Amino acid sequence: MTSIEEPVREKIDQLVQSHPVLLFMKGNRQAPQCGFSAKVISILDNYLDDYETVDVLSDGEVREGIKLYSSWPTIPQLYVNGEFIGGCDIITEMADGGELFGTFGVEPPSSTVPEIHIGDDAAEALRQAAAQNGGPDQYLHLSVSKDWQTSLSVAAKSAMDVEVQSNGVTLMVDPFSTDRANGITIELVETAEGRGFKVDNPNAPNLGEMSVQELKTLLESGDKFEFIDVRTPSEFETARIDGAVLLDETEYTRLSALPKQTKIVFICHHGPRGVNAGQQFLGQGFTNLHNVTGGIDAWSLAIDPETPRY
Amino acid sequence: MPIEVQANLSSAQIAETIHETILQAIPGAEIEVRPGGVGHFEIRVESDAFEGLGRVKQQQLVYGAISELLSGSNPPVHAIDKLDCVVP
Repeated sequence: MTSIEEPVREKIDQLVQSHPVLLFMKGNRQAPQCGFSAKVISILDNYLDDYETVDVLSDGEVREGIKLYSSWPTIPQLYVNGEFIGGCDIITEMADGGELFGTFGVEPPSSTVPEIHIGDDAAEALRQAAAQNGGPDQYLHLSVSKDWQTSLSVAAKSAMDVEVQSNGVTLMVDPFSTDRANGITIELVETAEGRGFKVDNPNAPNLGEMSVQELKTLLESGDKFEFIDVRTPSEFETARIDGAVLLDETEYTRLSALPKQTKIVFICHHGPRGVNAGQQFLGQGFTNLHNVTGGIDAWSLAIDPETPRY
Repeated sequence: MPIEVQANLSSAQIAETIHETILQAIPGAEIEVRPGGVGHFEIRVESDAFEGLGRVKQQQLVYGAISELLSGSNPPVHAIDKLDCVVP
């Protein structure tokens, strides 16, 4: 049997001993490079704000060494307090069975049954989807992630799921989603891309509307906020408001790293691009976002005629 | 006695090698190895050695035994699609 080289063993020992929760994975928490690693990250994120990961793709010694160290042939591998817990299948089963709360010493969230409203058309479509994709032990699942993305899927029921009945539809909601899903409305809508579900979630932070008058008051108040122009560089050259910063890649990276409660005001030409940018940042979990209604054109008309219209 | 692993073995030969390697590590075990796609195998091992062990520890006994067949740049075994460890 191949034995692990001593320096590699020591290196892995050191890693495992110095982090209470350590995941050997492909890629990192923000960008997992394999479906199994991504699956485990999505589970861990429910339980823990902070944990360490090691990207085995960037370290060939650890990539091979960890398999021998753990007597486990696959990546990812989870260690908690120095003890090997398992790979993707085992962690998924432990999550489904409610065992991970004990593993991490985390209190289970409330298992209150959320109130979910489903429109008649949406209910019919959901029943059809369940009938087509379902089988024995297959149920419709609804989850609402930390960044307020709602997803519907068909999967086996887990012991932790909370069952919700609404308009003749049975939905399983995982325990992390129950509070976030409470009060949501699901409707079937026609869009340019076809029929789709529209979810209205009263718990999710909204993109606030800001009039140009309110923007003027805010700018004059001297209060600190991020003022972001989401038009093209040439439009920005043509007309701009003092204090606004053009959203380019560098600026995007800087904003993304700010605290999630940072106040950000978006402006574009007439409004729609600002809404898109705002939705994107809502998706990242930001909670204090605003879009200037009518954009810079409304500013030119109502506040400052010196700002060129185009 | 270490087992020689040769290149370009057939699936049946690799399956037999897996069988022998596990048997050396867990004497007396009932072992079934089913080849799947190229380099993929399903394994069922029945042994008293699993008595009182959790599922992870049971599987570590088997994976630990065959780690040589799974490591390196072009290992004869790419993946174990299924591993059942059973106490008789």
